[in-house]
Amino acid sequence: MEPAPHRGFSFGRIFAIASNTLTDLVRQKVFLFLLLFALVVIGSSVFMARLSFQQEFQILKDVSLGAMSIFTSVLAILATARLIPRDIEDRTVYTILAKPVPRFEYLLGKLLGVLVLLGISVVVMSALFFAVLYLREQTILGEAARQFSAAPREQLDDALNQIRASGLKIDIVAGVAVIFLKACLLAALTLFVSTFATTQIFTVFVMVFVYFIGHLQAAAREYWLEQQSTGWVGKTFLALVALTFPDLQTFNIVDEIVAGVVIPLALFAKTALLGIFYVVVYTLAATFVFYGKEV
Amino acid sequence: MDSTFDRNDAAVAVDGLTKVFRIPFHPARGIVAVRDLNLRIEAGEVYGLLGPNGSGKSTTLRMILGLVSPTQGATKIFGRDSSLAQSRESVGFLPENPYFYKFLTGEEILRFFGKLCRLRGARLKSRVSELLELAGLTNARQQRLSTYSKGMLQRIGLAQALINDPKLVVLDEPTAGVDPAGSRDIRNIILDLQKRGVTVLLSSHLLSQVQEICDRVGIVAKGTLVREGQLKELIAIENRSELVLENASESLLKEVEKLAAGSNAKLIERRRSTTTLERLFLEATQESKPANHANNANDNSCSKH
Repeated sequence: MEPAPHRGFSFGRIFAIASNTLTDLVRQKVFLFLLLFALVVIGSSVFMARLSFQQEFQILKDVSLGAMSIFTSVLAILATARLIPRDIEDRTVYTILAKPVPRFEYLLGKLLGVLVLLGISVVVMSALFFAVLYLREQTILGEAARQFSAAPREQLDDALNQIRASGLKIDIVAGVAVIFLKACLLAALTLFVSTFATTQIFTVFVMVFVYFIGHLQAAAREYWLEQQSTGWVGKTFLALVALTFPDLQTFNIVDEIVAGVVIPLALFAKTALLGIFYVVVYTLAATFVFYGKEV
Repeated sequence: MDSTFDRNDAAVAVDGLTKVFRIPFHPARGIVAVRDLNLRIEAGEVYGLLGPNGSGKSTTLRMILGLVSPTQGATKIFGRDSSLAQSRESVGFLPENPYFYKFLTGEEILRFFGKLCRLRGARLKSRVSELLELAGLTNARQQRLSTYSKGMLQRIGLAQALINDPKLVVLDEPTAGVDPAGSRDIRNIILDLQKRGVTVLLSSHLLSQVQEICDRVGIVAKGTLVREGQLKELIAIENRSELVLENASESLLKEVEKLAAGSNAKLIERRRSTTTLERLFLEATQESKPANHANNANDNSCSKH
């Protein structure tokens, strides 16, 4: 049997590693329990006390999108942190890299497996969230139609439009997409950290640190700039911090969505491109480090 | 380019290989794992790399496979630099104490490695079945690797090393922790590979096994190749011969002794031939087939040489 002719780049090899990674993660019951927990939180938000439909929808969106954001961030970090160190510790990486598999394909395959898992999780959670929101919206629309049945047509339409404006809108899909992108960014950054970290615990610790810095740095930067005039040293330092730690607050448009603010397409596109940029940069950095790593 | 690599028909060519592992925060110090190693393995040979623990065998194998970069020197596989993924197109590797993804079944792990070698469809399916049969794991194909015994893991490890029908197979302690029956099976597979012209690079502590199957051996100590050559020549005691007789009467033996005494030769030892502990074990545990290669005409310790 002659071996298949070698290709410098093979989607087949990457998909094989991605599929294997996804199978590994799905068979880890801990992630299923985490997903179940997120679904319970989303599902139970419909039972929260409400005074008006606006408040009900706001709470539903806030809790659901918040749960999705936290769950996908945790999943991205925990799922990715264990991949490379475990393969090296178990020496599974030897048998893989002893095949004609370039190291960057190995990394891409691992990352792709995590991204697919994140995608599936987001789709499942979104489906439940949208279903709950849609059902509540339809129920409230029905109640309003009955309540305003005797009122003038204009008043009825106005009431129904107010309900629809607070309910399921396309902006929520944009919000979910940004949550997914943020999770992808965290996965790529975790992959990069894991290529030079010696243990999984260290990777998780660093990523928790990065997570908090990422969410706080914009506010801290503005506070510092307001409080004191900053020379070139300070500005350079702040620029380095912004480059090293991604500004995760940029990917947080949940508050706007909950408040009913319309998300401009340009803002969504800019945020999406920024997320993709970070994923590409961190993946390239991980590849650079991994090529020099002695396994 | 060094003239050594002009002869690119060697399965493995190692030239001036050195590896120093740096100690963090002490850049001037390092651990010399391999020192100026030169090695050449011809296609079709079974080569045994021997040495005590910490002698640099595994590091050498990993550098040959491109898993570790040398500090100095170079390695090539069939004329291709080991650092290139392409050089491993026709290579199979079984590491020491292999650990595979335990969440996969025997069939799934072979399919996974087959896909990494770009095998697909019916070809992959038939190859997986063939190797499971060869490894004696057909009945365990749907079981997860977490349920496999040590011997089964070694055999599935050997199967994955052969998934792409390689021309070079690198085996690091292939029978470590395996019982005699499993060890015999692995040994038979290696001999079968040799008959088919596959080059085998084998690292082992089991010297008797190496003696049975290797054409050439290299002995590594403290990172340096200290002895190397054809096995027959290395282990032959120059001025001694063996004569094995069956059904010889006592009077005949005494005559032979008398002949020897009357010449310049000296009788060193007279003893009864023995079987091997392995044969005894296998017969006692009711193994059906004795090792094919070990069915020598005599009953002495089994040896290919």
